[in-house]
Amino acid sequence: MLNRGDKVGVEREPVKLRGRKTVWQLLTGEKYIRWALVVPLLIVLAAFMFYPLFYCLYMSFQFYVLRKPSVFIGMENYRMVLHDMVFWLALGRTFYVLVVSIAVELALGMGIALLLNREFKGQNTIRGVCLLPLLISPLAMSLMWNYMLHVQFGIVNQVMVWIGLDRVEWFASPKTAIYCIMLISIWQWTPFSIFVILAGLKGMPKDALEAANVDGASRWFIFRKLTLPSLMPLIIIVILLRTMWLIRIFDPLYGTTRGGVGTELLDWMVYRIAFVFFDVGKAGALAIFSLYITIVLCAVLFRQLMKALGAAR
Amino acid sequence: MRRALFWFAVVIILVGFLWPIVWVYVTSLKSVADIFRPEKLVFSPTLYNYRYLVTVRPSIMEFRNALIITFASTALVMAVSLPAAYSFSRFNTGGGHLLFITISTRMFPGVVAALPFFFLFRNMGLLDTHIGLVLLYLYFNMSFATFLLYGFFREIPEELEHSAMVDGYSRLATFRKVIFPLIRPGAAVTTIFCLIWAWNEFFFAFLFTRRVARTVSVGLAVFWGSVEIQWGPMAAMMSLAILPTLAAAWFMQRFIIRGLTFGAVKG
Repeated sequence: MLNRGDKVGVEREPVKLRGRKTVWQLLTGEKYIRWALVVPLLIVLAAFMFYPLFYCLYMSFQFYVLRKPSVFIGMENYRMVLHDMVFWLALGRTFYVLVVSIAVELALGMGIALLLNREFKGQNTIRGVCLLPLLISPLAMSLMWNYMLHVQFGIVNQVMVWIGLDRVEWFASPKTAIYCIMLISIWQWTPFSIFVILAGLKGMPKDALEAANVDGASRWFIFRKLTLPSLMPLIIIVILLRTMWLIRIFDPLYGTTRGGVGTELLDWMVYRIAFVFFDVGKAGALAIFSLYITIVLCAVLFRQLMKALGAAR
Repeated sequence: MRRALFWFAVVIILVGFLWPIVWVYVTSLKSVADIFRPEKLVFSPTLYNYRYLVTVRPSIMEFRNALIITFASTALVMAVSLPAAYSFSRFNTGGGHLLFITISTRMFPGVVAALPFFFLFRNMGLLDTHIGLVLLYLYFNMSFATFLLYGFFREIPEELEHSAMVDGYSRLATFRKVIFPLIRPGAAVTTIFCLIWAWNEFFFAFLFTRRVARTVSVGLAVFWGSVEIQWGPMAAMMSLAILPTLAAAWFMQRFIIRGLTFGAVKG
């Protein structure tokens, strides 16, 4: 690839002229290049991470509703949020959605991965099709699901009529609306679980499986004692990443109920208070809460991941 | 019998995953009357909805905006992330903490960033401009790109670099001549992921654009008017909007899981 003497003279740094280095030479020299390379990133980080964070923190101690000067009110915003029933409902609902969606995704993912984990005709095509929902615009698919679940024009209700059931107004009742939102997210993200687990299944040690088979262990026993423990790190990765994404779920809400019908989740509530009521102080406090919850959840999961990785080794 | 059962299950799974996507295309070809008659499975296809996007409510601007913003932000992301990821992987700059801080921006709820920037952009006159959204997508994609590239850089053996430098190449020349050709596939995958995220993004686009810089996602939402939802044209626009991502999903199969898990799982 590289031959000795190949354009060496051209590319080599000039021999050191003591004290007369240009800034460019200094920055590309061995000593500082590591920092020179991350400077753009640091600038973006400072502008886009620390500025918003401190702004939200600062605003959460202010009473500020658009176009009026802000007033310092201490912890009042936090007190208001903590005494707000709507907040607790939204929080509880968010956890409910988190737990149910991730559990269903993992169960479906495990089942389908076990099903697909074999050689069969057209396996690559079928796996490819299963991957399609992953990268599609969530908003577009939410709007499509909204149409498909429509009480009069939706294909889902039409199929239900054909097989002799009654039409259901999916997005009209708090009982069903929240499950429809979960359905959208589950539809889109089950492939993620499938393929992460599939990757784990492919990496399983073959000899242990064979030994268990020779010993006449039952399938359930093999799954419980061999497959599941070795998949544990991957399952926790799925839970971790899905928690991160689900907690900020917005598009499926916007595409269907727009936060109504008992489907208001935490981030939608922050959005509503910030951009519909423009109660910036309260929204700041809520945003800080939302961030805090995400960080705590992710830290707990991350520790579990490390533990599982330790156990798997 | 077992084979039949297996294929039955596979067919059910395929129908489940494909149905909504197929339905987008089916709906986009239906006439106004047929859209409200789901029981009619056989219908005469029409291009009315696509013509609607050209003549009645021109959507070309939205596609243009989305393309500009998507490509500009991705170029910026790569310009920032590529050197940073290289630095992280070779020199362990910041001892891992910096990398962790970078990745943790991905955990931020969107509103934490949206709220301060809305007011900042309003004061700077950046609301509803391409630049504003490009900057936001830089923030949105940067951490992800840096981490993914970090993984790809780690796979290049350091000895290659050392031998190049022993041969008299400077750090920059080594990067250009030795590392870059090797990182190109990984960089391509990262680029495509950034393009897709930026193309699909709705939350920031919805808050920060109104008319001038409106992207495809926001354009889709506009079909949901105050009176009625125009399902036909909306489906037509969806079918065009999801086409590039469907193609990407098909051609990048090998890398999707790796990308989505930030390189933790090699699918």
